[in-house]
Amino acid sequence: MTARRRVPIARRQLAAEPAKLVVTLVAVAAAVALVLLLSGLRRGMGEQVTLYLDHQSPVLVGQEGARNFLSQTSVLPEALADEIERVPGVAEATPIGQQYAMLRLHRRPVLALLIGYDPGKPGGPWRLASGRAPTGRGELVLDRVLASEHGLEVGSTLEYRGAQLRIVGLSRGTSGFMTPLAFAPRTTVNDLSRQPGTANFFLVRPEPGIGAETLAARIDRTLPGVTALTRDELAANDRRQFIDPFSAPLFAMVAIAFAVAILVIGLAVYSSTAERSREYATLKALGLRRIALFQLVGVQAAALALGGTAVGIVLAAAAARGVSSLAPKYLIAISVGSVVAIATSALAMALVASFVPARLLARLDPASAFRR
Amino acid sequence: MSVPLARRQLLFRKGRALAGIAGIAAALLLVLALNAIFAGINDRLTAYIDRSGADVIVAQQGVDTMHMTQSALAEQTATAVAVIPGVAQARPILYVPAMIERGEKRGIVYLIGDDSGGAPLPIAAGRRPGLGEIMLERTLAERLAAPIGSRVRAFGQSFRVSGEVEGLASILNSVAFVRRQELERVLGSAGVVSYVLVRAQPTIHSPDLAARIEASVPGVTASTREVFARSERRVVGDMTTDIVRAMILVGFVIGVAVAGLVAYSATLSQLRDYAVLRALGLRARRALTLAVAQIGATVAAGFVLALVLVWTLAALLPRLSPTLVLAIRAGDVATALIVAGAVTLVAAALPVLRVARVDPASVFRR
Repeated sequence: MTARRRVPIARRQLAAEPAKLVVTLVAVAAAVALVLLLSGLRRGMGEQVTLYLDHQSPVLVGQEGARNFLSQTSVLPEALADEIERVPGVAEATPIGQQYAMLRLHRRPVLALLIGYDPGKPGGPWRLASGRAPTGRGELVLDRVLASEHGLEVGSTLEYRGAQLRIVGLSRGTSGFMTPLAFAPRTTVNDLSRQPGTANFFLVRPEPGIGAETLAARIDRTLPGVTALTRDELAANDRRQFIDPFSAPLFAMVAIAFAVAILVIGLAVYSSTAERSREYATLKALGLRRIALFQLVGVQAAALALGGTAVGIVLAAAAARGVSSLAPKYLIAISVGSVVAIATSALAMALVASFVPARLLARLDPASAFRR
Repeated sequence: MSVPLARRQLLFRKGRALAGIAGIAAALLLVLALNAIFAGINDRLTAYIDRSGADVIVAQQGVDTMHMTQSALAEQTATAVAVIPGVAQARPILYVPAMIERGEKRGIVYLIGDDSGGAPLPIAAGRRPGLGEIMLERTLAERLAAPIGSRVRAFGQSFRVSGEVEGLASILNSVAFVRRQELERVLGSAGVVSYVLVRAQPTIHSPDLAARIEASVPGVTASTREVFARSERRVVGDMTTDIVRAMILVGFVIGVAVAGLVAYSATLSQLRDYAVLRALGLRARRALTLAVAQIGATVAAGFVLALVLVWTLAALLPRLSPTLVLAIRAGDVATALIVAGAVTLVAAALPVLRVARVDPASVFRR
């Protein structure tokens, strides 16, 4: 039997300084949690930007060249609904208005996505927390979270682009970090934009048995001056539009966090190895092979990396849950894929971090154990 | 002759000292880089308005931003503003988000319909757009591979690229210019403008002119360029405040952990040295000062390294990705400095306790 198997040296060395062990685990956990939270925030943003689309008909029609639902202008005559409904396979085409609304709440600009829809038709709020759906001009349904953040409730009035909008209902499940939703009759939205008789998009419900892609292609071929897209295609384009710009900074942050984690693990293992060089020299003099010494360092580094990662995953999950209850406008969507990726990366961290202490051990002279 | 104990102790294990400095630098770099990225976005957010030559911006009532904003004014508003005493020029513009396409390549821009074709913004190449033409921000032109003379599509229409402007794009958006009547036609919004850009006569102060416009023209909000730009910056600032705060907190935790780890392991390995020094008569307070000085020096070096790294990033990143601009502000550096100070204080707690408790007699035991 080898000395390594009989005496759990790696574990004992780690446990010998509990304060240092805790600090190391906290540092690795913080770095891991940071990576998970940042990537979760990015994913959450993607889910939030398609919040409205996710609840709508499978096909949408916009002005020719429309590729996105958000961040792109599309203006069509509302009378086009009749023409769309004449396309075989279309059960219903409903005009909607859509625009970013820079509301001024508490003297600060607050962004919302204002949807104009025809009362009683699709496109409105899908779940009300209180109040009722808007029916008349100047009436508004506001996202519940946005309203509560600014002390607004049913009956409150809100000024937007010179108009007084009265909140008649609060919607649930319509909160988003960048784009909480607000709903008003389409006539109100058109008045605000000085664009009467227009719509930004048409929500198209296919007849049973008609596929969304088939119908979108058919509308595209039949009607000039429009672009028909499936909801999933529009949603994917919107997600890309919002998420892609954040990829480079996010990658930089993740790289820094990884570097920190590697440094911390390396630092912890290196310092304990350096401090115990006499003990290692003794072990070497007693005949412990070089490979066993490397294993010792590797096991310590792996334990710190995996332990810190486990704590980091728990921390990130707790933080995501805390954020969803304390600040529901942020959605942190931690995916299983990112957890698996970070756990795998932890082993890579351990490998890199154990390189320097392993070199120290390789160069250690067994005779130094007898010097003093 | 005094002995530089703190320096010698710190430099005894150079590898560990360097790793500690690198770790703290990385933590502070997180704080500094994120702040600089958002500051860079903010700067570019107002780049058009800052360089538009407008002293006052007239918008629909209640509107004082452009980014992700809708504003609709009757075209006559520009005429009404132009005759107000103190107004040198009133230029109406249409302003809409649009998708510019060239083949399979696409980019979202704020498309500005302007009769002057974007004057007085300096042109980087080519000329201002005429009818059927478009002027692109250079980074977008490069991304779309749309040189001057090539054609791009927007709203289903084809436009010839007439020229390029520079320095208006951020990682979030870009800017392009067409003739206003062209944009009016494709949007079917005859008689409607988004904003009126007003140049003041030299004798009048912008805030006075803004107040005069609001008093004379109903249904508008007139803001000076400075007030308008400040409001624009708030849009992104308010959206990102929580994220920046969270990042500062994480940077702080990592910084404390790294500094604490360095300090703790260094102190432990030097505990016998401290005992010798105490046995030789070094007072406890002086021993504590030694421990804190080592942590302070590590954090200070980490802070300087983080500054150097963020400045290097600010110089390099725009070359790799022209829209990723890092703006380093004194306030953000001060925040990082405060974080670094707090890191030093918290991280010093553990080793200080160990040093305070060290028994001078322990040096004689073995």
